[in-house]
Amino acid sequence: MATSTDGVELVGDETAKNIARAALFAALMGAFGFVSFPNPVSPAPVTLQVLGVFLAGIMLGPVWGAASMVLYLAAGAAGVPVFAGGGAGFGSLLADPTLGYLWSYPVAAALIGAVVHRGVSLRDYRAASTPLLVGAMVAGTVVIYAFGMAGLMLTLGYGIAEAFAVGAAAFLPAEALKIAAAVGIVRSDAVAAA
Amino acid sequence: MLSYAPDESLAHRLDPRTKLLVQFAFVAAAFAHETPQGLLALSAVAAVLLASAGLSPLSALREFRYLLPFLLAGPLVSALTLGPPWVVVADAREPALASYRALLVLFVTAAYVRSTPVRDTRAAIQRTVPGKLGQFLGMGISLVFRFFPLLLADLRRTREAMAARLGDERPVTERIQRTAIAGLNRAFGRADRLSLALRARCFAWNPTLPALRFGRLDWLGFAVAAVLALWSVL
Repeated sequence: MATSTDGVELVGDETAKNIARAALFAALMGAFGFVSFPNPVSPAPVTLQVLGVFLAGIMLGPVWGAASMVLYLAAGAAGVPVFAGGGAGFGSLLADPTLGYLWSYPVAAALIGAVVHRGVSLRDYRAASTPLLVGAMVAGTVVIYAFGMAGLMLTLGYGIAEAFAVGAAAFLPAEALKIAAAVGIVRSDAVAAA
Repeated sequence: MLSYAPDESLAHRLDPRTKLLVQFAFVAAAFAHETPQGLLALSAVAAVLLASAGLSPLSALREFRYLLPFLLAGPLVSALTLGPPWVVVADAREPALASYRALLVLFVTAAYVRSTPVRDTRAAIQRTVPGKLGQFLGMGISLVFRFFPLLLADLRRTREAMAARLGDERPVTERIQRTAIAGLNRAFGRADRLSLALRARCFAWNPTLPALRFGRLDWLGFAVAAVLALWSVL
């Protein structure tokens, strides 16, 4: 047993709060993967996972939003069935055809957070203008699909056109819905925590 | 849903670090030998690893059924060409091998997930990754493991309540919004109560880690990992 006896190094109050939020957001992200809605424009159903990435960047900011996505990946790798379709395990991060999407989540959350909060320190995200929010989420979507397509090309040997056909074309229209929903959520006063 | 199941199998008795090492060596070998012969040999290894975790290939395949469209689409899309002869079977060869390789790696991962409790992987990560990053990952993994089923149940109840009030006849954007807002409120509410409880219990960066010990069986695992790693650089 690796018992440390020379002292207790307490986690600061603010950090404890951020860790709890990042972990809960990561768990919510996993739960979002199980909520699917019919897609009005394509046969591929919409899950809320990408919405989770958007909201992590907007609500937790670039640092803790990305940290929460890292926790999501770590928990999935460790065996919590949080990946798409109830998947889990390190293999999902190393050789799963959808690994690119997974790895993009921390990057996209950090990017969205950095744009919305205009830097690393947190501002009130409710004060952000709608064009800024939409622009940040469009940039995040580009990152997610670029990584996702790169993942397909790497693991399955696709060309770029095939990767776009299989990995992005069917899903992209639904992202517009999620961006609209995210703006609505940010503008709504029904979310209790700031 | 792919998850840990208690058992007395060979894989269940190994240290999680040994199993992780075998997994990484397997991935390296699979990427180094993407030939029919290489993948055939690795299929045998994957079958042995699955059997060592008490898992049949069919039940492992069932766990990854959502990925099958992706794996099948690769060879199919590559074989199609615009113009005669429309289908070139030879073009499908590389993507088919790649799809099969991905499937083999997922089998090995399924064997790991089935035979390793999350708390053991947490301990392995926390011991291997140094400093506060390791602590953060370890604490985070156990919190996600604890709260994921709760939030899933929260969302399910929300959707049932919406359906009971004919909410599922509203436009998709509005339904997404309402479900997400309910999920966020539950998550933030739980996070606030959790952080208060953590602080009340002296939440520390250096808690006592769960015990992990290498046994005699782990040498077998090391040998398998070493052979795979050697083969991947040859």
